[in-house]
Amino acid sequence: MIGNDLVDLRQAAIESNWKRKGYLAKICTPEEQRFVLEAPKPDEMLWLLWTMKEAACKIVQRKTGTRSYEPLNFCCGLLNIEQTKASGTVSYFKDSFLVKSELKNTFIHSVAVSEMKDFEQLHLQYLQPDTAYKAAFNNLNSLYHLTGTLSGIPELTHQVTGRKHAVSISHHGDYLAIIYSDSLLLAD
Amino acid sequence: MDREIMDREIIISAIKEVAAPYTQDKEALDQLGEHTSFITDLKINSANLVDIVLDLEEKFGIEIDNDSMSKMLDVKSTLDVIEGKLTEK
Repeated sequence: MIGNDLVDLRQAAIESNWKRKGYLAKICTPEEQRFVLEAPKPDEMLWLLWTMKEAACKIVQRKTGTRSYEPLNFCCGLLNIEQTKASGTVSYFKDSFLVKSELKNTFIHSVAVSEMKDFEQLHLQYLQPDTAYKAAFNNLNSLYHLTGTLSGIPELTHQVTGRKHAVSISHHGDYLAIIYSDSLLLAD
Repeated sequence: MDREIMDREIIISAIKEVAAPYTQDKEALDQLGEHTSFITDLKINSANLVDIVLDLEEKFGIEIDNDSMSKMLDVKSTLDVIEGKLTEK
């Protein structure tokens, strides 16, 4: 299974005041709080951790079929940041996920998978976040057909085999990211 | 009116007031009821759910623990959490 999450940094700066009293402690473990407070760019670190948690959360939600709001139960670890790329792990009780992230000046995008091999044959498509994004995706990709709603669960159908492939969509502010897999199916 | 129903209505209007600054969807906010979801109906960003939890803590003078927060995705469960915390006090 795959999951992604994107934060538009400009939008986040307007929408969220993570420095307000009590905020950080509600979403970050003591270790993660230290990562944020000691980082050269605390905002970037916070939203990196947040997208990692949210990307992993999407996998858990699909597995269990239920939604829950428990950022503290998703624990980020083994963080490795190199300029515009980051990697790490997110653990959720007995489950563990691998995450790769892109750190841009204007946004952060994280992708979570269950196993290292799931990163292979994974595609990433950035699109304009307007209502026609599905049509735009389908114009660019003749092999797959994307359906579903912006708030609902997306479905990606292979045009030759008819099989449903693993797909995850995230949008925030000015950005929208779609990830999908050539090898993983929706049910995997 | 039954005291319990009245209390629930007061709490719902407090939830509505707290949620208002975080939603752009005024129509969904006007129609807010027990079954309203913060994320799917009010289109509130998940990072702002923390703000709603913190605002409700301040408003009611309660402390919302991690387990309670995990359920607070819609008005009904938020109402239940607040009622529970208020009776504990």
